[in-house]
Amino acid sequence: MKPGKVIGTVTLGVRDPAFHGGRWVVISPMGADQLSAENPSHVSSAWSLVAYDNLGAGVGDAVLYVEGAEATQPFDHPLPLDAITVALLDSHQFSPPTE
Amino acid sequence: MILARVDGHAVSSIGHPSLIGQTIVLCTPIDEAGVSVGNPFAAVDTMGAGRHAHVFITTDGSWTQGTVHDDHSPIRNQIVGIVD
Repeated sequence: MKPGKVIGTVTLGVRDPAFHGGRWVVISPMGADQLSAENPSHVSSAWSLVAYDNLGAGVGDAVLYVEGAEATQPFDHPLPLDAITVALLDSHQFSPPTE
Repeated sequence: MILARVDGHAVSSIGHPSLIGQTIVLCTPIDEAGVSVGNPFAAVDTMGAGRHAHVFITTDGSWTQGTVHDDHSPIRNQIVGIVD
């Protein structure tokens, strides 16, 4: 599970039938800088990704997402899926020790 | 297995059912000297690791599915030890 910020959505005109009911969000991974800031307006330099979302995540929301084989675990049928949102964050706190 | 430091936590009330009620911590991977070596990630904590504790994390999703009693859980990362 990784923390990320929803920065957009994707709407498919044509899609694989296996994806019934799903929606897609664009996620920018949150690094230490984004997690530490109180109101991070900037996004990290990491590559953004598209994830399946069935939680109702909106642009600006902080989420946890899972990548890889585990992303398909919640489904009882095979799905060509690489990433999925697993939690909408109400709040988070992040403070690495000062070195 | 990942050696990491607990640097924060997250609270969620909307998420995969297996995650609701779990303690979610935000961790930074560290090397043997305790220096950060990667990007933060989230893990489930059933051991009560304190802030800045050094922890041992498994990324074995099937183990965590047993912990949360849900064969369809997508959760992978779980604290399985606290380093002395």
